[in-house]
Parts: sequence; structure tokens; C-alpha cells
Amino acid sequence: MMPGRSRMRGKLFFLGGALAALGAGWAGFPRAIYQSRPQPVDFSHKVHAEKAGAKCEDCHAFREDGSFAGIPTLDQCAACHAAPMGTTAAEKRFIDEYVTPHKEPQWRSYARQPENVYFPHAAHVKRAQLKCDKCHGDEGSAGHLRPFEQDRISGYSRDIWGGQGRPAMKMDDCVDCHRRSLGTRAGQRSCLDCHK
Amino acid sequence: MTTRRDLFKIVGGSAVGLLFTPAPWRLIADSALWSENWPGIPRPARGEIRTRFTHCGLCPAGCAVRARCVGEQPVSLAGVEGGLCPFGVAGHHLPYHPARLKQGDRQAAAAAVAAVSEAHGTVALLDLRPGRTASWTYRRAMAALPHGVYLAPEEPAFAVDLAKAKTVLSLGAPLLDGWGRPSRVFAARSGFRLIQAEAVESRTAALADQWLPVRPGAEMALGPAVAAARSDALQSRDREGVPGAETNNAPLAYGAPTGPGSEALQSRDREGAVGAGAILDAPFGHGAAREGAVGAGAILDAPFGHGAAREGSAGAKTNAPLANARGSDVLGRGALRSRDREGAGVAQITGLAQEQIAQMARELRDNGPALILGREMTSEVLAWNVRVGAWGKTVGPREEAPVPHEWRKAAPVTPLPQVADGSLQALIIDESSAGARIPWADIQPKLAPDAVVVLLACARNGYAEHATHLLPTPVYPEALDDLPAPVDAMASEFRLSTPLVPAPEYAVDPVEFVSALAGLDAKDALRRRADAIHRAGRGRLIAYADGKSVPVKDLKPEEFWKALASGAEWIGEESRGPVPRIAPAASPRIAPAAVPGIALAAAPRIAPAASPRIAPAAAPGIAPAAATTPPDAAWPFFLAAAEESGGPLVSPLLSKIYQESRLRLGPHRAALNPHSGFAEGSRAAIETRYGRRIVEVTLDAGVPPGMVLVAGCGAGLEACRVVRI
Repeated sequence: MMPGRSRMRGKLFFLGGALAALGAGWAGFPRAIYQSRPQPVDFSHKVHAEKAGAKCEDCHAFREDGSFAGIPTLDQCAACHAAPMGTTAAEKRFIDEYVTPHKEPQWRSYARQPENVYFPHAAHVKRAQLKCDKCHGDEGSAGHLRPFEQDRISGYSRDIWGGQGRPAMKMDDCVDCHRRSLGTRAGQRSCLDCHK
Repeated sequence: MTTRRDLFKIVGGSAVGLLFTPAPWRLIADSALWSENWPGIPRPARGEIRTRFTHCGLCPAGCAVRARCVGEQPVSLAGVEGGLCPFGVAGHHLPYHPARLKQGDRQAAAAAVAAVSEAHGTVALLDLRPGRTASWTYRRAMAALPHGVYLAPEEPAFAVDLAKAKTVLSLGAPLLDGWGRPSRVFAARSGFRLIQAEAVESRTAALADQWLPVRPGAEMALGPAVAAARSDALQSRDREGVPGAETNNAPLAYGAPTGPGSEALQSRDREGAVGAGAILDAPFGHGAAREGAVGAGAILDAPFGHGAAREGSAGAKTNAPLANARGSDVLGRGALRSRDREGAGVAQITGLAQEQIAQMARELRDNGPALILGREMTSEVLAWNVRVGAWGKTVGPREEAPVPHEWRKAAPVTPLPQVADGSLQALIIDESSAGARIPWADIQPKLAPDAVVVLLACARNGYAEHATHLLPTPVYPEALDDLPAPVDAMASEFRLSTPLVPAPEYAVDPVEFVSALAGLDAKDALRRRADAIHRAGRGRLIAYADGKSVPVKDLKPEEFWKALASGAEWIGEESRGPVPRIAPAASPRIAPAAVPGIALAAAPRIAPAASPRIAPAAAPGIAPAAATTPPDAAWPFFLAAAEESGGPLVSPLLSKIYQESRLRLGPHRAALNPHSGFAEGSRAAIETRYGRRIVEVTLDAGVPPGMVLVAGCGAGLEACRVVRI
């Protein structure tokens, strides 16, 4: 084989390998690293917000001690859904599988902070007057619940990386937001303000 | 054709390409996060943040606890009325302690005890923290067995009121370091002057208004000396016709049940005609104590006395901190007999100047109400307090919280020394709660050669090595138990240590185990006790959640129980009573029958050879040459407990902090005087007649020469030697 042709062939192989890796890294890896799990019930925030007129805090309430209750329990759901509120298959399934046997749905939280973080909703929502969509995106207007995507290695939710209109929720993002909103005071904070 | 070179080109290209994708960087980050969540790493609880109230069960003080819980998990503990000691603050770590016992064959233990009982052997239960509802269950269970015996150390039948004291003489009591209920002690601290007589400059000594550095083990010698000085002063006033109710308090307390006068008693005392049941208050061994006819059940209250132990008639109990079994004198037999009242003997034994002792006695007299505290609040401490006129002022009686009437048919409290040697075929020891420590050397002779010993404990650091069956128990805060009133509570109390976390499956509830042996149903014993208290209708309920105090009679039984289970406390009424006659017939709870617990719990074990020459304490004003004089060539050191260890288990995190900061001695450390010849951090072996322990040396100027402090070795003194290794 001629030397020039051989050199070109080598470049092509190298480029092919690089392109394959880039494809795998950008397209295949994210699919492989995350495990997709469906939510137990196809809940529609949109229906509850538009038809029932519910606000975020009606279900995602604060307790008397100021702590955030997070995802509502079945008792709260059953207050309205003791009997079917519609004719959809999702509604029927929710009543039959959870409300009637009084079985708590195992919701998967998209935005749960890791165990070493103390995140007070009260400080952000009540004191800093942040809107829910500032961190959670437009989840409140979604017609369906996305599957929960969990990192196979770390166990964390994919949502912490942000994307699709949602801000990221990594430590750098917390620090960045605090720095922007609090200015130099943000730098005076200690590790234990946020970390357990 | 694809060559090997082409494959390398592809691999190389892929490697370069991968660097421009998120994959390697994410894998690094994910791997780091994964390593943060390995098994065994504690997971902080999630859930509703709630506050729950309970009482700390780690020591008899039973401090009120405010627990911050996330979901059902307690994440931090704090005090309610005042602070909480470091052991209590870290109490919620104990269920996860690595040294916790987790295995035990309950069926085998129960079968072994049942076999003894069916064979009409004697089954005894040793309760190291008497006064609880569990103790009543044990007594009922022992009464139900054919030959059941309930053993327990002495409980003080009186209480002290620090808030009313103006002058407090503490004879080695760790008053400011875990004595009584700390919140109550510190609340009253500014109201009294504290004189601490102790060999070591302990925390209490350091915080006292005056520290009297006495020779090791000589603290208790000051009690009778001060009381005698006070008593003499009162008698003098009496003779001179000076009116005063106090005059009637002190000397009569020592009379026979018919109450002879003090002078008559002292005369009898000197003549050796002390009757049955009397207490001989002879600081240094009166003639009567040495040679007289000390009757059955008499107590020889002679801190350095020897005679009764050697020559007294059967049944005499020696409560002599430095008494030795051979009867050889500490400072020469009988040498101090004629001088004890003058204080010369006290001065010689304690190493204090006579004027210091006289000054202290004057202070107790002039700056009253006074109060004398001992490391163990025994009947002789009560006697000294009666003599200084404290009865009815700073010292008084305290009734036990009501119990259901039917429980009264329980086995009596039997002191261990009253048990015949070799008579116990089975012994159950409840070591699950921190309580009195009884040397195994005192227990072992009571056991039959093939005796069954069942130990209910949460850790292996107590009697475990002597047990034939070892059963793991719940630890605080898993166990539901009530707490007897501490010695500084003038009114009876009832409070529960309610569980904050459930006990694991393997844990054996001691009450359940013992009651099952006797066929008793004791599951609702605490509820029945609460109902009995409610029926009595006395006292009030204090709820820490809202700080309200409600009279019991305004509550329904269910409300009363619910409040108790939620951390409230019942406080009864203060008792009032006449000056106790410290004699068996008149005051059973201060009777000799109950007293041997003193000897068990506190009586030091000094080898005879070590006793005669006691090195003076290292203290300001004492010549170093004298201070370094070894007490004995073979056993040149005295071994003493540094402090209470906080129960059978201490949080590993806390003990690590303590050891690193040296706030408290760790289990492998011993404190010695800087002039003892050992280097800081060097390794040494402490040898006693019971065994040997390797320690790391910590130098502490507060430890006098000739003494070694180690943590958790019991309350008494022990002769020892320290060997370099």
C-alpha cells in the first residue's frame, strides 16, 4: 500500500473511533447510565391546577413546625378521591389499587436532595419568596408525570443535572444562586449551613 | 484488510473522542457519590420534625430530655430544665454501639433457672438499680418462686435539699460532676458555700469554694469529727440552758429505741455496752467498738476502725473505708481512741491541720443550715447530718411513690452479706441499667459451686465474664422503665424513660424475662403503678411540653398515664417526719439490714499491707518529701475511680472526643502525678490483686502522688502498683 493512502486510512480509523465514542458518550451513555422507572399513577398536575383550581401549596404543604411535607400522602388524595372523580383509566386504577385498599403510592421524587444535604423549603419559599417553578420547572402544568430516571451508579435523580426547562440542583448551582441573590454574604456561609 | 495498527487507531480515536463526552467525567462523579453511600454509612432520617419528651435512663438522676426527632428517629437530645450531661446528649447513639451485646440464648437461660427452681434450689435476683417499678416486679417474682431471694444495694431512705443549704461539706461526693440531678444542683449552687474534702482535685474540688486535700480514702473521717464537734457544741449549749430545737435533734438520734440521752449513750459507748441495733459512731475505733459487746446487727461507724470487724460479735457490720480484714490498724490500734473528739486523730488521718478541721466545724455551725454529703449517701452520712442539725432543714424523709396494694406481698430486700455462703444455686443479675457496683469478689462466695448465673446486660464490660448465660437487653433510649427519685429530690417522684426507638428483636426485656420465670404478668406494671399514684390523688403532674403543672386530682387516669408516657413527671408531696432513730427496730430502712450495701458498693479494698502507711496527699502546703513517701513497697499506689463512666455503654463518638481532648479519661488511660516518674503518653501496667490492665499514662497535677486514677473502676480504693512496660 502506498504511504499516503495508508496515512489517510489511519486517519479515517482514528476519526471513526473518535466519532463512535462521541456518539456513544453523548447519545448512548445517558440512556445507559439512567434507569427509567414509571410513577405508580399517571398523575396530571395540569388537570388538578386547571379543573380543580388547586395551587401547589394545597397539596405540597408545610407542616405546623415549618418543615415541608413534600409529596402528599394518600389521606390527602383520598379526601377528594374517595370515589372516582372521572372516567379515565388512570383514575380507576388509582381508586382500585391505592384508595380502596388504603395503600400508599410509592411516588418517586424527582428533586430529592441527597442525604448529606439539608434543604429547607420554608427558607426558600416563605422567606426568599421563590416560586416553585424556579427550581422545579414547569412541572406544575404537565399533563403527565415523567418517568423517574435514576442514576445506576450514584442512585441520584437525573433532575439534579437540570435540562428541559429545569435548572440544575447541584452544589455549584446552589452556590451560584446564593451568590447572585446574596452577594458577598454568600461567601460567609459555612459548610454546615447546608450540609448535615 | 483491517490490521492491528488500524485497531489501535480506532481505540486511540475512541479514547480521544470519549474525553469530549460527559461519560468519563460523569463516571468519576458518580463513582464518588456511590462511595458516599456505601453500606454502613448512616442515613439521616427524613420526615416530620417533632419534639418528644422522655427522661434519661443512663444514671439515677433521670434528667428530663427533649428529643428532636425526624420522623421516628431521634437526631438530637437536649435537657429540659437545665442542661444534659455529655453522656445524655449522646444517648441516642447507644442503640448503634458496636460493643453492644446482640446474642443470647433466652430459652436456655430460662430453662437453667427453672431447673434450679424446680429442684427447690435458691434463685436470687440482684437488682443493681432498686426503687423502680421493675424492682417491685422482681420482688413479686421472687416471692412467687419457692426459694426466691431479692438482693439489692441500700437505697437512701432520706433526701437532701441543696436549695436550703448555706454550707455544704462534701466528703468526696462528685457534687458538681453528675451527683443528684445536675440541673437542680446547679440551680442551687449559688446559694451555698461548698467545701470539698477529697484527695484528688476533681472537677467538683476545682469548682468548690474551698478544697480540703485529704489523704486518699480519708474523706469520710471528717464526717464524724465534724458531727461530733457540732454535737458537743450543742450539748454545751444544752447544759447551759440555751434553748434551741436543734439540741433535741442530734444526740437522740443515736439512742436506743427508747431514746436515751446523748451523754448516757456516749458513756455506754465508752463502756462497751452498746445494745443490739445501735450504731456506734466512733470515728477511729472506740474501745467499745474494738472490745465491747457489739450486738447483732450493729454497725461500726468507724472510718478507720478495726476492732469490731476482728473481734465484734456475729452480725456486726463494718463500715470502715479503710478497715482491713486482718485488723491491723491504719495508724496504730487504739492510738486515737482518746483523741478523736479533739480532732487530733482526724488531723493525723486526713493530713489536715487541726485548725482547718475546727474551722470547718465552726463554719458548719455558724453558717447553717449545713449539709454533709458522702460519695455514698449512707445511714452514717444521715447520722452526721442529724448531728449537725440538718434534719428537717436540708435533710428529710422521702416516701416512695405509691404502689398497688397487692404488690406489697413481695419478697423483702435482702442484703447480699446476709446470704449464706454457697447458698445460691441460681443468680439473675439485672445489669441493664446503670446502678450500684458490687465487686464480684463479694458475690462469688454466695454462689454454690455449680451455680447458674444469668446476666441481663447490654454490654460485656460488667459481670459478663462470670455469667453462665448472657442475655442482651435493650439500651437507653429503647427501654421503657421508670426512674427512682434521686437523692436530691425531697418529694417522691414518678417519671418514665419512654423509648424513642424500638428495641431490636434480639433484646430481652429483663422484667419480661424474670416475670415469665415466676409466671407473672407484668406487662402493664408501669400502668398499674401510675393508676395507684393517681388513686392516691396527691401531688401534681408537670408536663415539660407546655410547662404546666396540674394537680393529679384534676386528671383522669387515662390522661395521667398518657401524660406520663409523653414525658411528664409526677411530683408528690414533701414528707415530714421526726428525727429518725437510726436503729433497726425503729427505722428499718436505715437499719443494719439495709446497710451492708454500703460496704458492697463503696467499701474500698485495701490490701492489708498497703494500709498502714498512707502517703499524704499532694496538695498546696504539704511537703513534697512527705507527699512522695510510698505507702508500701509492694503496693505503692492507691487506685481510684476517676469519675462515673456514664453507664455500661458510652457513645463511641463521645468517648473518642473525650480521649482526644482528654476531657475525661478513656478506658485505657490512667492519670498519675507529674512527679510519679512516668512520662506523658508512656505505657504502663496497673496491677491489683484482681488483675492487670495496660494503660497509657496521662500526667495530671490534680492527682496526688501515690494515687492512680482510672475511669470506671468502681468507687472505692484499691492498693496497686504501676509497672513500666
